[in-house]
Amino acid sequence: MTAKLRVGVGACSEKGLKEENQDSLGHFIPENLNLLSAKGAAFTLADGVSSSAEAKQASQACVTGFLEDYFSTPDSWSVKKSGGTVLTSINTWLYGQSNQFQDASRGLASTFCGLVIKSTTAHLFHVGDSRIYLIRDNNIEQLTIDHRIHMPGQKEYLGRAMGVDYRLDIDYKTVPTELGDKFLISTDGVHDFLSDKTLQKILTSDDQNLENVCEQIVAQSLEMGSNDNVSCMLLRVDELPSQDAEEVFAKLTELPFPPELYEGVILDGYRITRELHASSTSQLYLAIDTDTNEKVVIKTPSVNFEDDPAYLERFQLEEWAGRRIDSPHVIRTIDQHRPRRFLYYIMEYIEGKTLEQWIEDHRGSEPDLTLIRNIVSQAIWGIRAFHRLDMLHQDLKPGNIMITPEGLVKILDFGSTKIAGIADISTPVERKVLLGTKNYTAPEYLIEKPGTTQSDLFALGCIVYEMITGELPYGTALSRASDQASLHRLHYIPISNHVRNIPHWVDKAIRKSVQIDPDNRYEKLSELESDLRKPNPSFLREEQLPLLERNPLGFWKAMTGILFVTNLVLLYLHISHN
Amino acid sequence: MSAQKLKLLSFSGNARILHLSWMAFFISFLVWFNHAPLLISIQESLGLTNQQIKTILILNVALTIPARIVVGMLVDKYGPKIMYSLLLGISSFICFFFALADTFEQLAAARFMLGFVGAGFVIGIRMISEWYPAKQVGLAEGIYGGWGNFGSAAAAMTLPTVALMFGGDDGWRYAVALTGAIAFVYAFIYYNSVSDTPKGSTYFKPKKSGGMEVTSVGDFYFYLLMNIPLYAALALLAWKLSPSGVSLLSAGVADTIYVGLGLLYLYQTYHIYQVNKAIFTTVVPEIHRYKFKQVAVLDLAYLATFGSELAVVSMLPLFFHDTFDITAVQAGLLASGFAFMNLVSRPIGGLFSDRWGRKRTLTVCITGLAVGYFVMSLITPEWAIVFAVLATMACSFFVQAGEGAVFAVVPLVQRRLTGQVAGMAGAYGIVGAVTFLTVLSLVSAQTFFLVITATAVVTLIAVQFMDEPKGQMAEILPDGTVQMIDVH
Repeated sequence: MTAKLRVGVGACSEKGLKEENQDSLGHFIPENLNLLSAKGAAFTLADGVSSSAEAKQASQACVTGFLEDYFSTPDSWSVKKSGGTVLTSINTWLYGQSNQFQDASRGLASTFCGLVIKSTTAHLFHVGDSRIYLIRDNNIEQLTIDHRIHMPGQKEYLGRAMGVDYRLDIDYKTVPTELGDKFLISTDGVHDFLSDKTLQKILTSDDQNLENVCEQIVAQSLEMGSNDNVSCMLLRVDELPSQDAEEVFAKLTELPFPPELYEGVILDGYRITRELHASSTSQLYLAIDTDTNEKVVIKTPSVNFEDDPAYLERFQLEEWAGRRIDSPHVIRTIDQHRPRRFLYYIMEYIEGKTLEQWIEDHRGSEPDLTLIRNIVSQAIWGIRAFHRLDMLHQDLKPGNIMITPEGLVKILDFGSTKIAGIADISTPVERKVLLGTKNYTAPEYLIEKPGTTQSDLFALGCIVYEMITGELPYGTALSRASDQASLHRLHYIPISNHVRNIPHWVDKAIRKSVQIDPDNRYEKLSELESDLRKPNPSFLREEQLPLLERNPLGFWKAMTGILFVTNLVLLYLHISHN
Repeated sequence: MSAQKLKLLSFSGNARILHLSWMAFFISFLVWFNHAPLLISIQESLGLTNQQIKTILILNVALTIPARIVVGMLVDKYGPKIMYSLLLGISSFICFFFALADTFEQLAAARFMLGFVGAGFVIGIRMISEWYPAKQVGLAEGIYGGWGNFGSAAAAMTLPTVALMFGGDDGWRYAVALTGAIAFVYAFIYYNSVSDTPKGSTYFKPKKSGGMEVTSVGDFYFYLLMNIPLYAALALLAWKLSPSGVSLLSAGVADTIYVGLGLLYLYQTYHIYQVNKAIFTTVVPEIHRYKFKQVAVLDLAYLATFGSELAVVSMLPLFFHDTFDITAVQAGLLASGFAFMNLVSRPIGGLFSDRWGRKRTLTVCITGLAVGYFVMSLITPEWAIVFAVLATMACSFFVQAGEGAVFAVVPLVQRRLTGQVAGMAGAYGIVGAVTFLTVLSLVSAQTFFLVITATAVVTLIAVQFMDEPKGQMAEILPDGTVQMIDVH
């Protein structure tokens, strides 16, 4: 049995000299192993800002809000995205509540420290002046920076907190954890009164009961004259998820590869009709579910990779990703109810043609912008379904987009999909950098930079360009580029070079989507969608460029011509005068 | 029982790539062995000694050993399309150089450089593996290899006649130049007709590594040991060219080469250590584990099969000419019977291997070729030519079926190392050719055949140490249901 994450935890919170304990603490370690591996375990502490009206309510909202909502985020989301999204919405709620009060300073405000341990990494979320310490090998290290503002001669003020502003900057960082690591989360009632040295002494004492240690810390703080609420939480990593390669690989190879399939063969209740496609990496078969008579597609792994753990992991993740995406514009991965005895997965059968074929069929004919806009919008819906789940498709190309006879557009292929939530989980499997298809792969991948949603936008931009012109925006030069220098030499070929009668602003919109530098592209897919439909005012303005910029050669030619004519006139006047 | 047949009659999709690639390989073989059937006239027109002729034969395969490694790396970097075109284009000029040679030294230099074309094999293998799905790739590579190798038969069959048609002492020059011209033209045809990958897939550059991965400490030393023959073959060649042999190189140069080879071996050993140093401290996970002895057996088997084929193809026309006192044209035609069998026997070897088990097929093939070469060693001028040719063809059937059988096992050793295992086996094939041809330069043809026979017997014993690669784990019942089989 694979070792799982095990964390011991102890906590103590006292109101101290104050009337009310405005600190809140909480943690959640999922019993469900799947949830534990997908989302990890969460530990939180919040200190309600005492000047605010409902300090206790604020801190409580942070802690329970985080613990409840964090575990409801999709599995595919990274810890960073999950935590950030949850905290942003808590902040918005707190800020909204504060607006009920006339005096802004009396709103709901709280510090927040959140620690998520997922796989072998600790993820820290932090706002305010509570702290997270790491205790490793009897050394104590403060991992967070207090958000405090120093005013000369005056008291220090809290510089940042949940609920004070609509906008919120959350400090996020990750720390690789080791077995036996301890994390201490404390409020200022503790660390303003106990030096690191004292803390270290208590933490490294013989008493290993976390509860007792926390109580000691609180008692000591009070003894040192703490006049605030005193709270702390201590956790210890007792076991980390297995990194034993043998176990991981054994799990990956649990199911054998199906044999070569042909018509009539029945695989776990699916009768094969025919082979749809076979490449050096996988095979696709058309099959009929013998229970429901439904047509399905079976994807089987290629025996070329039977001992390649990275491939096996990818193959199994394809299905994982597919089952989580639910969109009419993305191919449906079908849940299988019968026991599975081989490695393969089932998808819906889509009748229709690929966009690749569509482009071929429309080559040479006048581009139909209305139809193209419709297809692009549907594709954007599909791609957005990936992005909402913190996934990147990474291999968008005309061959991976299907159009049914009814005109429904569906995105295919999870083979290169990057899942942020999975990338968080460490593994002994050497994951390879996956590349999409030349000509559509965004340039940032070529120089080994991580992809973003802008990378999928780039591919989509190339596809739109190809739908209109039948060509690629950089010709074939992009497929030959391999480094920064060669990328700089690429030139966008305006659509007017291929097709006439396409509005200038459509070309501009596509051009902006396929910029070499991802920062120069649209931020959101919807911007491309709307700029394809109606002219973006800034593009229209650019259309009225001065002649000098639009056509410098023509400008100078005309200018010379005018001067020449003027000279002739002057000459004539001069002669006729004399 | 494949539903999808290899569409050989088609000329679209991957079949097109297969056809264009085997033709490229065919032409590279045509160029590589264009000298063999013409040796008789070359020897006459330039007045060469028998020793010099045999030296030329060895030189022809010598450079292939390092060239395969270099070309293999370049293919990974630049892709097969450009590499095959360059290989053919460059070799056409070396071919012209050979056609214009007037002295033994020039012939030797040209032939040595032409060893470079022998590296064409690896380029096409890479191309085919990009284009064919796993279940067809074995057969497709068999066809590529077999039909391509047939190029040497084509050379033997046609070039003496072509030389005769041009006529005169220089007829052979025109024949050789013609093959160069064909290679030159085809380089452009190939470049303009193929692409490295099917449309819409990416050409992956494999991870760079200076050595093959092994998975136990014992195998590490075994691997180092198995690398020695690759260098020893080159050292043997240097010795042959040194004053102790044909005096083409001075003693000083020969000594420098010995030292250089030694250093190169140490350098490679260092790389192998870098790749494998983890095995000295940690245990390799089961999924990555394999036995190096499997590789070693395949290396030996390829040495006995492909190595002997290259050697025999080189010497056979001259052998027939000398033994039976027939014309160059007749000798070439009869000798072509050996390579002719490639068309069918290599794919058949792969097919039998799939059906009847790897070890059994290899055993049968190598037994067959041992007997075959023994019979060939008995050929005397008193034999009827028909029987000599039949013996040759029967022997070559087993030789080439054995080659097919070796390559049917290669991917089963360890999938992810397929390229490297294939590369090493290929290198051993050339080592075999160099060794056998060196032997030929020292002894009579009869003894030469007996040496190959002895090598085959040793290989036969080695093959018995091979483990049968694990078979399919699933079986299809008569009603079509796929059933699991427990393998213990």
